[in-house]
Amino acid sequence: MAHLAHYREAHPLPMVITHWVNLIAMIVLILSGLEIHYPLVPGVMGIARGLHMFFAFVLVVNCVVRIVLAFVAKSAPAGGTRRLVRDYKTWLPQRDNKHQLWAWISYYLFLRREHPIAAKLGVPQKIVYLLIAPLIFFTAYTGFCLWGPTMGWPIFTWGTQLVGGAMNMRVIHYFCMWVFIIFMCIHVYLSLVEGASPATLIFFWKETPGLVYDPDTMNITGFDGMGKEPDYGETFKDPVRAAADAAAVAEREAAREGAE
Amino acid sequence: MAVREQTGTSRLQRKLDQHGFTRRDFLKYCGCLAGMMGLSSLAAPQIAEALEIGAEEGGLKPVIWLEGGSCTGCTEALTQGTTPDIPQLVLETIALNYSETLSAAAGHSLEQARRETIEAGGYLVVYEGAVPTAYDGNILLVAGEKGTDILLETAKGAEAVIALGSCACDGGWMAARPDDAQAMGVQRFLSEQGVDVPVVNIPCCPANPEWLTAVIVEYVLNGTLPELNDRNEPAALFNQTVHDNCPRRGHFENGEFVYEFGSEEEAKGYCLYPLGCKGPQTYAPCPITRWNRSLSWCVEAGAPCAGCAVINPMNPQGNWVDENTPFLDRHKDFAVGPISFQPTTVAAGLTVLVVAVLGVHCAGMKLAGRMDGGADFEAERRWDARHDKPAAHEAAARAQQLYDDLDELGLELKNTGAHRKRDAAGRKKATAVEVAAKAQGRAASDNAGASAAPAEDAAADLADLLVRPTDEPEGGDK
Ligand code: HEM
Ligand code: HEM
Ligand code: SF4
Repeated sequence: MAHLAHYREAHPLPMVITHWVNLIAMIVLILSGLEIHYPLVPGVMGIARGLHMFFAFVLVVNCVVRIVLAFVAKSAPAGGTRRLVRDYKTWLPQRDNKHQLWAWISYYLFLRREHPIAAKLGVPQKIVYLLIAPLIFFTAYTGFCLWGPTMGWPIFTWGTQLVGGAMNMRVIHYFCMWVFIIFMCIHVYLSLVEGASPATLIFFWKETPGLVYDPDTMNITGFDGMGKEPDYGETFKDPVRAAADAAAVAEREAAREGAE
Repeated sequence: MAVREQTGTSRLQRKLDQHGFTRRDFLKYCGCLAGMMGLSSLAAPQIAEALEIGAEEGGLKPVIWLEGGSCTGCTEALTQGTTPDIPQLVLETIALNYSETLSAAAGHSLEQARRETIEAGGYLVVYEGAVPTAYDGNILLVAGEKGTDILLETAKGAEAVIALGSCACDGGWMAARPDDAQAMGVQRFLSEQGVDVPVVNIPCCPANPEWLTAVIVEYVLNGTLPELNDRNEPAALFNQTVHDNCPRRGHFENGEFVYEFGSEEEAKGYCLYPLGCKGPQTYAPCPITRWNRSLSWCVEAGAPCAGCAVINPMNPQGNWVDENTPFLDRHKDFAVGPISFQPTTVAAGLTVLVVAVLGVHCAGMKLAGRMDGGADFEAERRWDARHDKPAAHEAAARAQQLYDDLDELGLELKNTGAHRKRDAAGRKKATAVEVAAKAQGRAASDNAGASAAPAEDAAADLADLLVRPTDEPEGGDK
């Protein structure tokens, strides 16, 4: 069975960009971080450290931008709808997600057959994504503690003393990297395992047809073929888009007839 | 003339002469001292003069040197083999009354000297070695007295206590796992015992005697202790890392490393980072003061920094040994009971485990037929169904109707842009028109059912749009 339709409204363009920046910064940070940890490739330590610090700032600024976006931009509260709400609301507990933590876990543990109906972000997803921002800031803090050991800024020496010295800080920073790596493994796996649609949306802003979700009744009401095949049921398209999609369908069918 | 005569042959100068040091050597050393005290080297002559006058006037600062749980290495570092050097001579001239190791006196007469010094007051204490507290302090006895008692008694009347060497700072080697002696540093011990005396920590294994002399000279000349950092170390000495001032730092930045001892890179004097050099995490001025009369120091001599200056004065478990072993690995080992392991082992192991679990999970998803768009949706949320919410039931009924309609038409929904027709199930193939008609029919009957949601109007409009005259909709089968 199909997923909900993947509409651009779920991840508006600015979020697609922050996600790209996140991905690129994270990959550069991991590769340069590994080089700093143990310089397997000789000759590039200076470059690695330069890139590491540069993308550290990029990552932090990007994270701040994403958080600000949550309050200024609007996005869809669920997949399968073009309705918009302030983005931060899609990060808070939603009616659509009530009592669904276990539903999701049991789905992924094969303890239930059916896909839970949920908001754009399922409960575990929401929790984990929400933890990413603090984790980025925490990693940045530990990184800055290692960056300017001699500047002696009280805010950094305080934390370094707290964890018992720079060695522990390094190990903590290093562990943070592995937390990101593990997160990425799971994140990439889950976003690809049921089909490429989520990834094509977040990376290429490309929509894919799917079930239509009505945020008012919080259930599925139709199927949006996005002009490729007939729609079905109540799809809540605005009339202009519906007309365009219908025209596209008619055209395709006519073409098929012609080919006959 | 007379004055010159006098300074020229001061007690200190005579001593230096005896050991073959020229006045130039002495002034050079005073310049170094100035540097360590945070003064310009132009202050060298004043320091020299002050030292000589201090020595001349018999203004000897009494210093009581105590040995705790130590290997005497710090004392050895001060006396440095065959001949004393300038710092030692200076120290001997301006200070040093009681030392268990160095003193000519021994036994009771030595203890007597200590008591008298304490009574007279106005003295400094240098404490070498850890403070072992196991068995209520009975683990270390000196002249029948507990080492901890001696420290307490001596520290109480002191103007300041200098914890010399990493063991004295936080327990060092003594406090390293398994720490049977329950060792700790002077600062922690005194604060636990409620003795309120300033403690200056001078770390390293052993501590460089030049740093000790600098602190004592500053105290004798200025009457104040040097400015301390948050580990109670002299800030002018211990606020920069070894890595900051290392002569191999250029190689570090260029990415020129020694990966193996005995290699060509080692011969070239490249950076020792991959061999576990702890220089980047270690705060000490070794590359600047250097060792053994400024001859050389660990990294210069080809050994990765072992991080012996790392101290955590209030936390003996943070001693430099546990923080930095294995010395030749980039990170320290973690210990759980008797097992120790590298952070990389745990982290990479966990990651491999996660990937393996995901692999198994992926196979499960394949078997469950979920890879192709996920499992079918539930018609109603389980919690709603269980809690009997009318609105949820209604929405679920409509969703179920939708799924039933699609089944009837033999349509399988696909995200990839197509309704797939389920020929195999022997079902009738649906056409766009049939689908639209069905949708319209349902929308109309819902409208008749008077549950007038605005969305349904839209659905009806949509159905209208879809039902248009395409008489021969079904193309050829492929
Ligand atoms: C976000 C802000 C970050 C800052 C400011 C930062 C900064 C630093 C600094 C200064 C170092 C030490 C360099 C040195 O000692 O010369 C370092 C090391 C390292 N960083 Fe980062 N970093 C950040 C984020 C990250 C992230 C997100 C990762 C990985 C996902 C990462 C992975 C590493 C690794 C693996 C090391 C080597 C640690 C070691 O073994 O000693 N860093 N980082
Ligand atoms: C190849 C790598 C990646 C893929 C395929 C991928 C895919 C996706 C997808 C499909 C979503 C949308 C989830 C949804 O709402 O349905 C998403 C969101 C998200 N991803 Fe990734 N991602 C990747 C890498 C990363 C990395 C490296 C990070 C950061 C460590 C990251 C952090 C996030 C966060 C925080 C969100 C929340 C959505 C938002 O910001 O609006 N992703 N990712
Ligand atoms: S040898 Fe050690 S202290 Fe010197 S530059 Fe290399 S890592 Fe830093």
